[in-house]
Amino acid sequence: MSNIKVGTMSPSDRSKRRAYYYFVLPAFIIYIVVILFPVGMSFVLGFTDWKGYGPIEFIGLQNYIEMFKDDVFLFGLRNNIIIMLSSIFIQIPLGLLIAYMLHRRMVKARKFFEFMIFIPITISAIVVALLWLRIFSPVGVVPSVIQKVTGNPNYVMTIFDSKNFAIVPVLFVLLWQNVSLYMVIFLANLQRIPDSLIEASFIDGASEMTIFTKVITPQLTDVIFINSLFAISGSFKSFDLIWAMTAGGPSHFTDVIGIYMYNNTFVYQNYGFGAAVSIVIILFSVSIIVIAKFISKRYQKV
Amino acid sequence: MNNEKHIPVTWKTCAYVIVLSFTIMTLAPLIWLLYSSFKINAEILKFPLALPKDFTISNYLRAWDIGHMGVALLNSFIYTGFATGGTLFLAMAAAFGLSKFPYKSKNFIYGAFVGGLLISVQAVIVPLYLMEAKIGIIDTRIGVILPYIAFDLPMSILIAYSFVNAIPDALIEAAVIDGASYPQIFFKVIFPFSVPVIATMVILSFLKHWNEFMFAFILTTGNDMRSLPVALTLFAGRLNVDYGMQFAALVISIIPMIVFYAIFHERLIKGFAEGGLKE
Repeated sequence: MSNIKVGTMSPSDRSKRRAYYYFVLPAFIIYIVVILFPVGMSFVLGFTDWKGYGPIEFIGLQNYIEMFKDDVFLFGLRNNIIIMLSSIFIQIPLGLLIAYMLHRRMVKARKFFEFMIFIPITISAIVVALLWLRIFSPVGVVPSVIQKVTGNPNYVMTIFDSKNFAIVPVLFVLLWQNVSLYMVIFLANLQRIPDSLIEASFIDGASEMTIFTKVITPQLTDVIFINSLFAISGSFKSFDLIWAMTAGGPSHFTDVIGIYMYNNTFVYQNYGFGAAVSIVIILFSVSIIVIAKFISKRYQKV
Repeated sequence: MNNEKHIPVTWKTCAYVIVLSFTIMTLAPLIWLLYSSFKINAEILKFPLALPKDFTISNYLRAWDIGHMGVALLNSFIYTGFATGGTLFLAMAAAFGLSKFPYKSKNFIYGAFVGGLLISVQAVIVPLYLMEAKIGIIDTRIGVILPYIAFDLPMSILIAYSFVNAIPDALIEAAVIDGASYPQIFFKVIFPFSVPVIATMVILSFLKHWNEFMFAFILTTGNDMRSLPVALTLFAGRLNVDYGMQFAALVISIIPMIVFYAIFHERLIKGFAEGGLKE
């Protein structure tokens, strides 16, 4: 630390302290006003039935009880969990696999492929959603291709109308956008692993599969773990892409908690209830992250 | 160097199949979107895959007029520019204060910023909307830019802090002895020293603000204040059947980002890899 310790407050101490406040306070005040204070207010509002007008009445845990009895909320939660699982068990492994293939130079022109595969992450979720909505739409690419391939000109996509599977196209689009993010993070971390490790395993007669699963992947455990944490908190926050693509429809088949919160707050004007839902979103991601950290600590000790 | 001669043919084949299919999956939709945007609506409906027969730019004219894409484009540039600049300046100042001054409160403040990484937009949006309505900055530029900055501070401070913290104290002490004031030290020593991390921060901030949706969507109401993503959802949504206009609007909003990416891709990829994690 850059400080010359002086016992009493000298003029230069005072100006130093003042400088400290000038540097730190503007950011901190904006942060308190725009984030910390509203979060506290959401927490308080969550215990009320306020509808945007009239006196505020406290109703205890009523909002939370109602929420967990609501089938729409529970189905949204189910979709959030599916999104979370698909990012952990499909997106992250795929990102790792592609990163490994590029790192090992299994393909030529790897910079070109890296450039191409990374494009989707730079495009706004709204644009991605609307683009894929059109691709899946009756006048889009997917139905036309299927019509041509099967020779059935009357083919229509019905997956969006299925309660159980309507989320699948959404999962596909999320995968399309997010795999490249994990790929890039893994690629950067693969560069830290010395090539001699791979060479040595090869000389020992290890197959490529063994090198990938037994030599390289264990080296990346911490990166996989951090990626998973971000996948978890990201999946509970998901809103933009699904909102623009399906708005949770048809009849809430593709709802997530974020959309449920939006509808209750801004469509039905249930501010108290909406605030409670937003607190649940934070609690879910924080608690899963805490549990994951706890488990990983246990695991490392053993 | 890796020795690619070791790699079995099956792995190489698989690698080509996977990498090529991801590349095609990225490019094909974008190419389809681009040529479809020059087709008239009837053609889009009848022959979804065909190239344009009657090449037209009328879709773009309609998107510009009816969709208010021009205003939205301008707004997106204003929001992104001011939010990125504001975040950079505030985060650098805070990082300097928190890493190079000896006061106790800094640990608490730094902790509060880092904790912000866990907070989602949903958790603040209702009170923020009510507060902004109360003081009358709903549907104004400042009402959008402030939350953009606030939400970008935790990640930016995290990135800036570790960099500024590593700047040698001797450098600052020497400047103090030479009689430099703290603002002078900040602008003449810390800033020039931090150019690499500033580049990373600017690029990540730019991308985040350019693509932001929820704040702009809820905190603006009129056509005049909408950003590109918000304008898009309003006229290119599920119910609109003017496909040509929607395609044109999507192309308009993708192009600035693709140009940005083409110029800065190496730094962008590096930034994401280093610690820039997408919201």
